[in-house]
Amino acid sequence: MISASKGLYLDGLAMSFGGVQVFADVTIDIPPAQVTACIGPNGAGKTTLINAVCGVFRAPRGHVSLDGNSLDGIHPHEIVRRGIARTFQDVRIFPYLTALENVLIAIPRQSGEKLRHLFRPGSGVGAQERRNRQQAEALLDEVALSDTADRPAGELPFGRQKLLSLARAVATGARYLLLDEPAAGVEVEMVPRVTALIGRLARMEGRAALLVEHNVEVVREVANQVVVLQGGGIIAAGSCDQVLRDERVIKEYLGQIYNV
Amino acid sequence: MNTLQVLVVGLSLAGSYALLAVGFALIFATLRIFHIAHGTVFITAGYTFFVLHRVHAMGLIPSGVLAVAVAALLGLAIDKAVYLPVLRRGGGMFGVFIASLGVSLVFEAGFLVYTKGVVSVARTDMLDILMVGPVAVRALDLAVLSIVAVVYGLLYLWLHRTWVGIEVRGLTDNAPLAAVVGVNVDRTRTHIFLLASALAGIAGVFSAYDMGISPETGTRTLFVAVVAVILGGMRNLLLGTMVGSLALGILTAYAGFFFPEWVTFSVFITMILLILVRPQGLFG
Amino acid sequence: MDYLLYIGALMCIWIIVSVAVNLVIGYTGMMAMGHAAYLGIGAYTAASLNIFFGVDYFSAMVIAALCSAVVAVLTLLPLLRLQGFYFALATLGLNFVFFDLFHNLAPRVEASEGLYGLKLPAALASADARFATTLLITVACILIARHLVGSPFGRLLRATRDRPEAVDAVGKNPTACQIVIWGVSGALTGLAGALYAATLSYIDASLFTSTASIAMLVFVGVGGLASIAGSILGPVLLIAFTEALRFIGLSSQFIGPVQQALYGVLLIVLMIFRRQGLVGKHDFRE
Repeated sequence: MISASKGLYLDGLAMSFGGVQVFADVTIDIPPAQVTACIGPNGAGKTTLINAVCGVFRAPRGHVSLDGNSLDGIHPHEIVRRGIARTFQDVRIFPYLTALENVLIAIPRQSGEKLRHLFRPGSGVGAQERRNRQQAEALLDEVALSDTADRPAGELPFGRQKLLSLARAVATGARYLLLDEPAAGVEVEMVPRVTALIGRLARMEGRAALLVEHNVEVVREVANQVVVLQGGGIIAAGSCDQVLRDERVIKEYLGQIYNV
Repeated sequence: MNTLQVLVVGLSLAGSYALLAVGFALIFATLRIFHIAHGTVFITAGYTFFVLHRVHAMGLIPSGVLAVAVAALLGLAIDKAVYLPVLRRGGGMFGVFIASLGVSLVFEAGFLVYTKGVVSVARTDMLDILMVGPVAVRALDLAVLSIVAVVYGLLYLWLHRTWVGIEVRGLTDNAPLAAVVGVNVDRTRTHIFLLASALAGIAGVFSAYDMGISPETGTRTLFVAVVAVILGGMRNLLLGTMVGSLALGILTAYAGFFFPEWVTFSVFITMILLILVRPQGLFG
Repeated sequence: MDYLLYIGALMCIWIIVSVAVNLVIGYTGMMAMGHAAYLGIGAYTAASLNIFFGVDYFSAMVIAALCSAVVAVLTLLPLLRLQGFYFALATLGLNFVFFDLFHNLAPRVEASEGLYGLKLPAALASADARFATTLLITVACILIARHLVGSPFGRLLRATRDRPEAVDAVGKNPTACQIVIWGVSGALTGLAGALYAATLSYIDASLFTSTASIAMLVFVGVGGLASIAGSILGPVLLIAFTEALRFIGLSSQFIGPVQQALYGVLLIVLMIFRRQGLVGKHDFRE
């Protein structure tokens, strides 16, 4: 079923690998300008969920649609062009590109990436590149990475690479950001920057985020709604307060963290 | 020459390929090294045999044994002097591949200077020929095939009945895990190179004795063996290389007979198609 | 003097080839070991058009470059799904496949093994004009390559080299990128092939073997991956060395083997001690 309203809609998704079912019948509505958090234990399939939405795997059952248009079977880079970007749990920045280049490369619609514009005088590639640089520098500044702008990204410590990958995803201009544990591994004093950035994107730019997270504080800080993925399905969904007080959630998941 | 005779030629070729292929497959499957210089080891044994037997008139057996020993040591030396240093400094599979290419270039150049491009045949007398129905079979071919059979039989026992052999199979399946459970990778590595290189040496001796060798024979024959390995797959080393070598032996014999201009083309088109369609081979 | 101009022209030609090969290996991470095939397509196309159809050589060169680009892309397409190492092996196989194709099917002048008798325009007819023209074309190619690698497209190439799946994740198509640069590389190599035919004035299949592809690898490896300067340095130094051998009187039957041995030693030494070459900005790795 494809929803006709605006937003990213996951309908009845199921994924399995080699005969092992990861999850089934997952339905999540990710409205624009809101932050949706997806929590749950490791191995519940949160990253697989992102992979399914982004076209890395094709879900055998269920549909993904954006503003009413189906995304089924569309190639990953095309999905980004339609406005859905993701980060990776294991980061995957470009190690031999500088931090600035990592962000620059994500900016869409660069005519300098097409050969036919490169060799035509007066095509404005240079000016566009300068504008893009400024945008990239501003983003780096937001995640406090300006001092590493010209260093190869592979040399940065993991926490800073995590921030860089977040900046890179934001640079794509995608209206829906699927963030795979954006705060995990980030230095403690930088975590507020992460939440501030995500919150600002939603409020000021109307961008939505699906946040896969373990860090309940981050979730509490920034999420408008929470879904809990566990045991192969969604066991709870609702506002932050509702979900975090849900008995079943506490028993099956939170209890492991908080020893409640 | 009738087509059945070509088949006999093919079987004889298959014998050499089989010896070369199984060594190459062993090294690649366990150590992930694409040992192009295996062809160099092969050809060096051939030239050693030629120099000892033909030039210095040393007896057949001693020359052969010495040549095989030289090959075994050369293979080991290449690993220790070239591959290990590359790997230790982070070269990875590619670095080793290119370094291996370098080794083969150096040795080939050396042999070019030594032989001035003339084919070197180590045999001094005529070969005995038997007639089996419509085909002529040479005693040499029978010798090669029996040796290959014995070698494969011994290899089977080695891989399945000895500790070292079992460790080698462990490396084939999962090298990091093997190291963790205490397989002595270094010592096993030495065994593998010595054994594989000795087998290549035997093939080299036979080739030098039979039709003679020239400097490019090493890499050329090796690549046919590589295609045999790809065809057979490395899941079941012995069965795979045997079937692959048979297929390539027959292919090259028939190609050589019906369209000799296209032998190289056939071999490499086969390789490319295999890589594209079924890189894991028939049994992989 | 004519001989020096001849060597100079050869250096220029191999610079173009090294730049072309470095574009795909050093900047895009595609291990190209079969570019001799494209060199041959360029040489044979230009020479055949000129000798058999009377096409003027400059037009023939352009057509040759285009044909090489097309052949390059066509041979790449089936190989795109291959992972790094199998890809390298397949391109190596292409050398041998194309050698037999050139040897058996390529046009040749009657009663000869190859092609000769080019009708060259004034700008390519004499040794000094040929050197000057070749040099100009080489400089143009270098400038084009530099512009390309310093651009956003160049950045995309390096990202494709580093992490193709992450290129997808930022909304760009790594495969399209690989196809485009491989085509550019093929075109440059084909152009060099056409110049090669004009410089040598006789070509046959023996020029376009795996030996040539390996020489390209040595030029790029010595100069350094992902460096245009390296692609200039590599061939110049190595060709100068070979000529020095000739100069000190080494007899010609030894020059080939000594050069080959040197290339072999260089490859080994590079892989152990200095995989980024002299001035390279990247390293041969998995």
